[in-house]
Amino acid sequence: MAKRILITDDALFMRVTLKNILTQNGFEVVGEASNGREAVELYEKLKPDVVFMDITMPEMDGLAALKAIRAKDPNAYVVMCTAMGQKQIVLEAIQHGAKDFIVKPFQPERIVEAVQKAA
Amino acid sequence: MKVEYISPFVTAAIEVCQMMLGITPQRGQLNARKGIFTSQQCNIVLGVTGQLEGMIIYGMSIFTADKIASQMLGTTIRTFDELAASAIAELGNMISGNALTKLASTGYQCNLSPPSIIRGSSVRISTLEIPTLVIPLITELGELEINVGLQERTK
Repeated sequence: MAKRILITDDALFMRVTLKNILTQNGFEVVGEASNGREAVELYEKLKPDVVFMDITMPEMDGLAALKAIRAKDPNAYVVMCTAMGQKQIVLEAIQHGAKDFIVKPFQPERIVEAVQKAA
Repeated sequence: MKVEYISPFVTAAIEVCQMMLGITPQRGQLNARKGIFTSQQCNIVLGVTGQLEGMIIYGMSIFTADKIASQMLGTTIRTFDELAASAIAELGNMISGNALTKLASTGYQCNLSPPSIIRGSSVRISTLEIPTLVIPLITELGELEINVGLQERTK
């Protein structure tokens, strides 16, 4: 069965770009969130296999959303996808259970690889 | 305003433009301004907090904004809609995020606000009288002006 994916990014451009890459590679995008709070709500409702999570977003940022999702589902598979590649931020995300960390701009193959790694 | 704050932005802008737009910008003449001010038609504004505080503005003409958005979306845009605006905003976010990553490796830990797009010329942001360095990047899609107004947080 195709992996079900939730995309989280405040930029419409990034949501469209990610969705195109994912659907062209046979994955199913089941939801799109434009901030962390929406992502937490949609995660509970949709139970996706993989979540793509931006960090810099209004209302609730991606690190806070990662923590909230992992608190409710310790098996949640969250991939951070952000322009912020500081070591401190990468470490914080990994410590809170992020499975992968993709720095923008990225090559489409990097996105596909991240989903394929998810069991 | 230290000149060392600006080079990570120039390097990041060149790298991101190469990857996202397939172009290599040329660096123009550096200018200093007393405050943050932009006379460009389309501006991406991002706030910086942390060990350095202030604002980054990427300014360009409407013509250049259309060209950049078209290049990013892989199709010629007819109206500058939400998708086009978010493409331009994301370019600013990527350049700034990569620049802050470079600044972090030299000891300045900073965070970024989500980008805003301001359209209309001669915008002065009068609450922030931070000395600003302006560097024009000359590209085949037009000029992209980077305004870096950062100062060390007062302890």
